[in-house]
Amino acid sequence: MPEPRKTPSETPVLEVHDLHVTFRTEGGLVPAVDGIDFAVAPGQTLAIVGESGSGKSVSSAAVMGLLPSNADVKGEVLLDGRELTKLTAEELRKVRGNEVALVFQDALSALNPYYSVGWQVAEAYRLHHDVSKKEANARAVRMLDLVGIPSAAQRARAYPHEFSGGMRQRVVIAMALVNDPKVLIADEPTTALDVTVQAQIIQLLEDVQTEFGTALVLISHDLGVVAEVADDVLVMYAGRAAEQGSVKDIFYRAAHPYSLGLLGAMPRVDVPPKHRLTTIPGSPPSPGSIETGCPFQPRCAYTERVGERCITERPLLTPRPGEGNHEAACHLGRRPEIAQEVARTGIQENAAPEGAPLQQSAAQESAPLEHSAAKAEGPLQPSAEESAL
Amino acid sequence: MSTVEQSTKDAIGQDAEELLRLDGVKKYFGLRGVPFRKAGAVKAVDGVDLVVRRGETVGLVGESGSGKSTLARLATRLLDPTEGRVSISGQDVTTVRGRRLRPVRRKIQMVFQDPQASLNPRQSVGTILTTPFRAQGIRPSRAELIELLHQVGLSEEHLERYPHEFSGGQRQRIGIARALAVRPGLLICDEPVSALDVSVQAQVLNLLADLRDELGLSYVLVAHDLAVVRQVADRLAVMYLGTIVEEGPAAEVYAAPAHPYTRALLSAVPVPDPGAARERIVLTGDVPTPIDPPSGCPFRTRCYKVQDVCATVRPVLEPVAGGEHRAACYFPETASPEISRAPMSERTP
Repeated sequence: MPEPRKTPSETPVLEVHDLHVTFRTEGGLVPAVDGIDFAVAPGQTLAIVGESGSGKSVSSAAVMGLLPSNADVKGEVLLDGRELTKLTAEELRKVRGNEVALVFQDALSALNPYYSVGWQVAEAYRLHHDVSKKEANARAVRMLDLVGIPSAAQRARAYPHEFSGGMRQRVVIAMALVNDPKVLIADEPTTALDVTVQAQIIQLLEDVQTEFGTALVLISHDLGVVAEVADDVLVMYAGRAAEQGSVKDIFYRAAHPYSLGLLGAMPRVDVPPKHRLTTIPGSPPSPGSIETGCPFQPRCAYTERVGERCITERPLLTPRPGEGNHEAACHLGRRPEIAQEVARTGIQENAAPEGAPLQQSAAQESAPLEHSAAKAEGPLQPSAEESAL
Repeated sequence: MSTVEQSTKDAIGQDAEELLRLDGVKKYFGLRGVPFRKAGAVKAVDGVDLVVRRGETVGLVGESGSGKSTLARLATRLLDPTEGRVSISGQDVTTVRGRRLRPVRRKIQMVFQDPQASLNPRQSVGTILTTPFRAQGIRPSRAELIELLHQVGLSEEHLERYPHEFSGGQRQRIGIARALAVRPGLLICDEPVSALDVSVQAQVLNLLADLRDELGLSYVLVAHDLAVVRQVADRLAVMYLGTIVEEGPAAEVYAAPAHPYTRALLSAVPVPDPGAARERIVLTGDVPTPIDPPSGCPFRTRCYKVQDVCATVRPVLEPVAGGEHRAACYFPETASPEISRAPMSERTP
């Protein structure tokens, strides 16, 4: 088992070790999450990134004990050192919504259309606190006000359908925060929202985090949102960690061909368009369809050059050179000559805006490495030619 | 400005053939249970002029409720405009209906957002691709269908399969192949990649670009994702509450947005670069209801530059800094927004 990641500044409030989630289905066992580790400290944000079927939402549901009964969860989930997977349903109910809270993507289905939003926020508080309805209502109004609902006292009496999408998501966030949780898990919290409203909600999450020191686990497929709010990033692929590290490790020094592929595939609003977007051929595998070797291997441009190992041997998370906790699960890391070659050609593809100065510095910095036996450094980038359309 | 944006812009002259022209198009939807009166209608599209020329890609962006999808449906004659005129290849088709629309549909086709919902699950791909031919009274050969599949990166073996056997990206390719069947000059794509994963989205965007180069297609690309649109559009039109508030060459609008709404919209798009610090304009409030839009400028209730004059008469599109770049604003911005980046030392190992 790989070493658990430690956030340098503080002890983590939530730690997940070697988490496995397997669904028993009519078609057999489906491993949705296959051994991931992560940790998040108070006031810090961990982003879990991945495409559909990567297991990112299942991981968060497993932490909350929210999976259906045909799911087998193995591994450790530690909240302040307390093992959550061993708790009884009754004990777990006291934790859920109280110490760990969840914000879903679709605020409309997370709210009950028959009750006023104030009632629903107050209910969440009363479930975990022995207070009068009046006190709970007052608390609910304070929370609604805090998340930026104008004239909260009046709006608390309104029903979910009377709110816009952005305001509804604010209500859900108020509900999640009403018990002052230590950990907030937000599963695609802004995906259903327009971009100007998304900006408001991201701002709100950041403000709340600063004010309460909440640890935030953000599940997202949007690399833009991740770059903006995350301190640490876990890139998931087919139920496993492809790469993890600080937000700068992932965005500036990505080492896994999948992370690089994602970054290259994402069109950017802030720079003039590339002639072609880098693509990753094929589509994400369905869970459990790849049993041996690297799950990304069928789509990877480097398999041929690394050889058999990609097909026969599962790559484990291996620390990358440099400070911090940057790790990647790729056999390429052990073949420095390929990785360096790719780093030189690749960085031009994935260049930051107006690329020229960056390319220069990359070339300069990668030169000395050729002599060292160090593991691969610098971004690898599948080139456009290699990505079949 | 990149060479890509520059070259496409130069290639399309003002005199290139007009494939689509919308003149003062409006679409009001009556409210349920209320007799149709203009006072009680949803003004989904409220006076739009738009021209699409051969070879160009027009990006139509806006938030939900801005009327961009309604406009796409008006352009393809799937909806009848309440007012205004729709011309396709120079022919006024506003009142053309039924059977007589068929020749028009050979010139303009639509690609829908959700390939799951827009492909009949009980029809094989072969049948799906045959349908547009048959609507035109043509019986396609098997070779023609295979050619269509090849054009979108699929192969002959896919012809007998059914939609559920494909991934989301492949289904969208089938949707594109179906739209290409009758060799249209213009494709209206309504959120063609928003239901797809990032890696697959890039494949479909590249496919659209390839088809444009090979077949000389024009596109109207309706999307909420401004980054997606920047990748492919030559020209950009920004919609807000049923009107176009800014329009112009994509490179110019992205580099120096003139309308405060465009500026706020662009500044709100997160950038996949943790070291980039941009001036973010966070708008307050939500988009007003299109049943009762604000007087004067539709954006004035959320605008950071609002003055008394904004509430009087709705501003019209006027040139900014000369040229084709136009904005409907009394106080357009002139300078480019500032972007600062992380130092280079942080970017390399």
